[in-house]
Amino acid sequence: MAKTIAGSKTRAVQVKGKKRGESENGNVVKEAGPNFDAIEASAGFRDLMKKKKAFLIPAITLFLGLYLLFNFVISYTDWLDNPFIGDISWVWVFAFGLFAMTWILVTVYMKRAEKFDEMATKTLKEFNYDKEENR
Amino acid sequence: MNATVIIIFLIIVAMTLVITYFAAKRTNTTSDFYTAGGGLTGWQNGMAIAGDYLSAASFLGIAGSIALFGFDGFLFSIGYLVAYLVVLFVVAEPLRNLGKFTLADMINARFDAKKVRGAAALSSITIVIFYMIAQLVGAGALIQLLFGIDYLWAVLLVGIMMTIYVLFGGMTATSWVQIIKAVLLMVGTVILSFLVLQRFDFSILEMFAQVKTATPHGEAFLNPGVRYKIPLDTISLMLALVLGTAGLPHILMRFFTVRDAKTARSSVMWATWIVGIFYVMTIFLGFGAAAFVGSETIISTNAAGNMAAPLLAQALGGDILMSFISAVAFATILAVVAGLVLSGASAFAHDIYGQIIKKGKATERQQMLAARYASVGVAALSILLAIFAQSLNVAFLVSLAFCIAASANLPVIVYTIFWKKFNTTGAMAAIFTGLISALVLVSISPSVMNPEAGAAIITGTPIFPLTNPAIVSIPLGFIGGVVGTLLSKESDVRKYSEVKVRANTGGFRQL
Repeated sequence: MAKTIAGSKTRAVQVKGKKRGESENGNVVKEAGPNFDAIEASAGFRDLMKKKKAFLIPAITLFLGLYLLFNFVISYTDWLDNPFIGDISWVWVFAFGLFAMTWILVTVYMKRAEKFDEMATKTLKEFNYDKEENR
Repeated sequence: MNATVIIIFLIIVAMTLVITYFAAKRTNTTSDFYTAGGGLTGWQNGMAIAGDYLSAASFLGIAGSIALFGFDGFLFSIGYLVAYLVVLFVVAEPLRNLGKFTLADMINARFDAKKVRGAAALSSITIVIFYMIAQLVGAGALIQLLFGIDYLWAVLLVGIMMTIYVLFGGMTATSWVQIIKAVLLMVGTVILSFLVLQRFDFSILEMFAQVKTATPHGEAFLNPGVRYKIPLDTISLMLALVLGTAGLPHILMRFFTVRDAKTARSSVMWATWIVGIFYVMTIFLGFGAAAFVGSETIISTNAAGNMAAPLLAQALGGDILMSFISAVAFATILAVVAGLVLSGASAFAHDIYGQIIKKGKATERQQMLAARYASVGVAALSILLAIFAQSLNVAFLVSLAFCIAASANLPVIVYTIFWKKFNTTGAMAAIFTGLISALVLVSISPSVMNPEAGAAIITGTPIFPLTNPAIVSIPLGFIGGVVGTLLSKESDVRKYSEVKVRANTGGFRQL
């Protein structure tokens, strides 16, 4: 069950202790941890972070912005109280729009995240850390 | 209580006990106990999230508020749903990649400091206890109405059931109780919605036209402003809802029950569809109740409108449908409180006992025992508090729980994942400013202080004007984190590289 940070595929050390580099009987295992700085600095990882930010920052700004806008408009004004069709006013349209926005953003993100997953796996492989093995 | 309701009720109880029996056989390790071994699939976990999230307050409360206040009754649902975007974009995947059983695990992936873990556990426990009191008090009152059982017995019944699920079946039993509840709730709501729409000839326009004249509010019923009249108060509450979900311990815990970030992500997708479709249907329930039951009857049965959905079921489908809907409401209550017990127990047994007192060196057997003792302890404490709180107006505790989650938990989560300079002092400051400011402000707010004797816990003029302090306490939590970080010189940038790589790639998971 318990796997700690271990070396690459061939050097993988499985120990049951909680701390990195410590084996079951407390002996220190002479394996250095992965070089996170190097992974962080790698082109693959930086590209992943760039692509993630390029999606997440606009997406978060959009949904929080629209949500806050909605709350301000319905609280301070009656702009949306006019009918859209029949007795359905614009406020219901905006409210349902926020529902639709949520579903759309989730769907779009699911697609994007597949790409992010691929990029992450590729980066980990470059450093000889196979993702599955670390699970 | 008629025979049908007893039979349906017993079927549900029996079904959940059978699940618990089988789950108990598979609950041998702490990982089984807290996370069902991490083996749930995306749709299973998504349904369980919906089951964990849609409380009786959502089902009966929102349907009732819509019936009585129209659009304003629906308003909360928007916050409750959009909140899942915060969960998906910010919290779900890093949490799965960095944590093991609790939120504190995730924060401790960056700061190996007992005080930070203790602080995170404390804020989790506070949220769980408040949420739980609100749920149990509400449940006691509802069961009293639905089944005609005394308040005390109703609370004890729910309390004992939730303890059995958690104590014996751990997360596996809890998850499946939540999944079954989600299915029952959706089936019940779809049936009711269908019957309502049928009465309006399946025309939404017709429905709006009829409810316009059906309530004492007239046209205003279809627009905002019937219930929430103080703009800043509404905005503050809506802010707590949209940002709070991502800090609720019992929701966060559900992301440890899946194997990886990808599954965590797809469980959020399932949850947003289920939760969203459910909230859309509450409009049909609320409007149906307004048109076919009438606000007078709804208010005379229960002033808060909680009986609107069962009364609607009675009006459209007779005793059998009403019994079914009542039983669904009961299952709804059970699923939510079981999840709460488990998240409270994990903070006590895993964070405080296992990691702080035993320094992570407790044996598997000790941890398992601690988990079970903690579950019983959390359950017993909540039952006691709920019995004492019977006559108090505690409905505000749910929004307070969201407010604390947004003010104390969200800032520290965001900074842990995204801010390179963030340090232990900053983490402590963020948690405590958020937690304390929310608690202090609410204790001097109109929710607690009311000039009218008996209307709130304390009689007196409120010092803080807003019922929900989120608009002040959330910024304070975020500012607290920044100030604490800058005041302290310590920083561990290397550790941040590790957290950043692990959070974003899902590699190097420490189990």
